[in-house]
This record gives sequence, C-alpha cells and structure tokens, in this order.
Amino acid sequence: MERAAADSRSSGSTAAVQATNDDAAASKLSCVNKGYMKDEYVHLFVRRPVKRAPIINRGYYARWVALRKLLLQFLKSERHNNDNIQTKKQILSLGAGFDTTYFQLVNEGIAPHLYVEVDFKEVTSKKAALVERYSLLRDKVGPEASISIERGEVLSDHYKLLSADIRDIQKLDSIIGLAHLDPSLPTFIIAECVLIYLDPDSTHAIVGWAAKKFSTAVFFLYEQIHPDDAFGEQMIKNLESRGCPLLGIHATPSLQSKQKLFVDHGWQRAVAWDMLQIYNEFIEIQEKHRIERLELFDEFEEWYMMQEHYCVACAINDAEGLFRDFGFSKDPHISSQSQKLHPLQIKE
Amino acid sequence: MSDLDRQIEQLKRCEPLKESEVKALCLKAMEILVEESNVQRVDAPVTICGDIHGQFYDMKELFKVGGDCPKTNYLFLGDFVDRGFYSVETFLLLLALKVRYPDRITLIRGNHESRQITQVYGFYDECLRKYGSVNVWRYCTEIFDFLSLSALIENKIFSVHGGLSPAISTLDQIRTIDRKQEVPHDGAMCDLLWSDPEDVVDGWGLSPRGAGFLFGGNVVTSFNHTNNIDYICRAHQLVMEGYKWMFNKQIVTVWSAPNYCYRCGNVAAILELDENLDSQFRVFDAAPHEARGVPSKKPAPDYFL
Repeated sequence: MERAAADSRSSGSTAAVQATNDDAAASKLSCVNKGYMKDEYVHLFVRRPVKRAPIINRGYYARWVALRKLLLQFLKSERHNNDNIQTKKQILSLGAGFDTTYFQLVNEGIAPHLYVEVDFKEVTSKKAALVERYSLLRDKVGPEASISIERGEVLSDHYKLLSADIRDIQKLDSIIGLAHLDPSLPTFIIAECVLIYLDPDSTHAIVGWAAKKFSTAVFFLYEQIHPDDAFGEQMIKNLESRGCPLLGIHATPSLQSKQKLFVDHGWQRAVAWDMLQIYNEFIEIQEKHRIERLELFDEFEEWYMMQEHYCVACAINDAEGLFRDFGFSKDPHISSQSQKLHPLQIKE
Repeated sequence: MSDLDRQIEQLKRCEPLKESEVKALCLKAMEILVEESNVQRVDAPVTICGDIHGQFYDMKELFKVGGDCPKTNYLFLGDFVDRGFYSVETFLLLLALKVRYPDRITLIRGNHESRQITQVYGFYDECLRKYGSVNVWRYCTEIFDFLSLSALIENKIFSVHGGLSPAISTLDQIRTIDRKQEVPHDGAMCDLLWSDPEDVVDGWGLSPRGAGFLFGGNVVTSFNHTNNIDYICRAHQLVMEGYKWMFNKQIVTVWSAPNYCYRCGNVAAILELDENLDSQFRVFDAAPHEARGVPSKKPAPDYFL
C-alpha cells in the first residue's frame, strides 16, 4: 500500500493536485457571482469564470460558512485575565492555494497579528504574481511587503506567503522561523482538501508536528470521507481520473477516524461533523432562507449524499484554556430533527 | 429509407439533427401529442423507464437491456433532459421514436420538461452550445407543454413522474387539467410532476424542493382504493438500487439514469410488465467507457476541491 501510494505521488499527480486550486477558485467565484457570499478578491484568481450547478454553489457556501464560523470564534477567543490586552493570534494555512480569506479579514478589519500561507512553489509563485499585479491585493498586504515571484514569496509584517512541500517536515519546521510564527501564540491551522491527497504517513507527520509545535491551537480540517459506499467509490474513481487520487481516505474513512487521527498524534481533543449535519444544524436559519432562494434547487438526493461525503474535523490543543467551548453550536431555531420535514396537515 | 428512419439512425449514433429537421419533427410530434389524454391509456406488455437526464449512452444501454422500440412497448416517465451531456440527442431520439411508432412509446412530462428548470440545469445551455441559438430549445420546450401528465396501464397501474396532489383524488380530476402550458409553480399539475412519497409523513407534508408535496402511505392507500388501481409507478427521486417499493408495495420508484450525473455511483432499473401485469425489474449499470464513443468533452463531474 505504502509503495503504491509513493508511486502515485508522481510529479504528474502533484500538478493535478495543484490544479485543484484553479477549480476551487472558479467554483468560489461562481458562488460569489450568484450572491451566496461576498468575496471582492476571488475574481482576480480566476481566468475564465464558469457557472457551476446549484449543488456545487451551495456546497462551497456551506464550507465557507463552516470555516468562517470557527475562524471567527478563534479570533474572538480571549484569555481570561483582566489586563484588557487583546491576545495576539496567528493563522497558518497549509496548501492555501488561491484562498482569499486573508484579504477578506483585512477588509473586514479583523485580520490576525500574523497570517501565513504555504503551498507548492508553482502555486505560491502565481499567487505572488497576482498580489504584485493587482493593487486590490497589494494594498492589503501593505506597502512594505517584499514580493518575489521567482521564490513564490510575499513577506510583509502581518502576511507571509511561502513555498514548501508540506510533506517535508524539516522544511515545514523552517517556515516557523521564516514566517516569524510564535509557537506560544494561539494559532489556527487550516487544511482544506489538502491532507487527503497525501499518503497517510505524511499526514501523520504533519498533524503530529503541528500538535507538538503549537500548544494553544485549533486545527481545522475539511475533506472527504466514506470511500466505501457507491457514491464514495465513484468519487474516488472520478478524482483519480483527474489525476488527484485521495491517498489518505482509506486511512481515515469516517468521522471517528478523523478524530482519532488527531488524538493519536498528540492533540488534546478532536471532534468531527459531516457537512450535512453542519448545514442542517449549525447554519442560521435566516441565512439558509436567504441562500436557498438564490437558485432553483432540485438535487436533494445528491445533495444529501455529497454533503455526507465531506466533513469538518477540528482538533484542539488548549494549554491556556482559551477554547473550552470551542466548536459549532446549534442554531436555537432548529429542532434536533433535520429540518427536512414540516408536516402540514391538509384535510383530504 | 424515409427521412424519419434516417433521422432515427442518425440520433442513435448520438448525432444531433439540423435545426430545420428539429422544427419539422416537433410539428409532427405536436399533432400526435395533442390528441393524448392527461391520463394516457397504455396497454401491457410495457416497459416503464424513469429519469434519463441526457445520459444518452446510458439510455442506449437501457435499450440493450429492455429491447429496441418498437419491438418493446415503452413508457418513459419524464426528465429526459438536463444534467447529462446529451439532452438534445436523448430527447430528440425519444421524440423521433414517438413520431415513428406512436403506439409503441409513451412519453409523459417530468418536472425538468420546463422552460424555467432547463435554464438552470443544462438543456438551455446545451442547445445554445450545439446550435449557436436557442431555437431548438424553444421548439423542444413548446413540445414539453403537449406531453401528457400521466399514464394508466390496463386500468391498474397509475404512472406519473412525481406523485400525488392534495388537489387530486380521482383520475377524472387529472383529466380535466388544461396541461398545455409551462409547469405552474403550484396546483395539481405542478404536484403531479414534483411530489414525493415520504415514510415519516402522515398525510401531506411540505416538500424541501419548494414545489409539490410530500405524501404518506395513507394518502397512497386512499388514492389507490378510490381509483381502483393496484399501485402507483413513479420516478423523480434517485434510488441507489434502481427501484424502490414503499408503503407495502403500493407505490414504486423507478430510476433509469445509472451513475447519475456521472457522480452518484448508483445502478439503474426499468420495470417490465408482461400481459398479465406480472412485474420484473431489470437492473443495469452505466455504459462502459468504450461504448461512449469519442466524447467531445470528457465527463469531469464537479466536487469540492
């Protein structure tokens, strides 16, 4: 198995995995154009805008909300001492691709003390070039930023874009110094559809490294689960034929195994939810009403299946007691049952 | 060989017709469909097929399993278009067969046979891409308005795309609907095309689809009893095993698009009824890769990446 995994980690498949950035950015733009969410930057990362099916728009929206909710909770969490000094925070985004969260946070005035993005150089070079080219982005990283397209780097006081193959733990470790990350500060680590493409050994190493390094941290994971039913088998086949096999999915096929991945590799605790539960129970009902009116939607069976095949896992190291109540909370307006049914009695 | 036979052969190779040919075909189809009842009578033996959704090569697989038309008598429960890559070829082939063998194939309307839905789910874009204008979409959507709303097999099996309506308790009430219009947003005609049976509903429930209703077993029992039918056969919902009985065999869902959207990994089924109405499901897989010819566009279904 390990051998097969190592073999399929050829440069061809690495390029295909990198290309998932373009796909994700195009999908996010499709969402933004339909009014699901606001993002004034993502269009700069898309060469040819496309219109995605409503199921894809709604799914990207759900993922965006899930990350947003936990990220904002992290940014708001404070030490319980009375010194009124805001706790400095850091975000480390692994395999960040063309994600625009940093620019959005700056725009909203809630960017953390330090935001670090890491990806393959092929990706960070393109991103650096775009940051240099568009003032909309450049203004957000600040005038003092040094940008090197060749090295795939952007270095400013509060934002660092750095290139690395995250499977190389030594290199990953050196990022701490290069980016001036302070391991003692509360840190939010993002890995959206990243670790699932790696062989399980690499994932173990990354998760373990992060647990050891950051004593006050949240690790946010968004990726696929359930490879063994008909939908899952087809998903694996389809992604394989695009050149991006899900090398990690059989090692962590369920919510429970995602939690175990973190706890077994040094994290104090971890919890995982599938995206259907997140959509049904944790997104405000008014928000859902708003987005469910944006497009005709007739893909319910498929929607349920697709959301059940993606999950969010959240691992926590809480040396300072910052994250006692961390996680999703139920929208009080939603009953415990999925809101699929509202029986309406009509006299026959 | 007549023009029509030649067109059928051409469509069977998944080659679309010329715009002028589509126009002429639609005119002929309209003459036939306008005569059909909202509850079209169908004789057994007959083979019932659920949603196809433009999956042309999988429909060819269906004909391989079920036999060719006119040798086999077919009833298609709608949703011919949208989602798949070949809605144009799929619908035109079925329509050409209808014109050629009007008594050997029955087409009823699904909720996707609508101007509004096809603009969201692919058929409109496909027509524009393949013809450079929306004329073909316009001819086809005009035909959609003439498609029957339901079928009744030997007075014993009621067939409809979606399900029942709180506004309908008898077949005669369906017969009085003026169907020659775009699918309305509510009312009996809308419900027939949009509703779903649901285990945990007692009576009627709101549908998450925003159109039609959810209906429970007691609704089906009462409808079947009132109209003296054995069971209802419908499509509309993906079922991973291709077919699914509910409510103690009072209603069955038949789904005929294998590996729906090239993403779902499901098998498909058709329901064969013999002259005694004895039923047999034939389950089939998606057409193998090599049977799909040289696709102009490789199916690359979307995921969250």
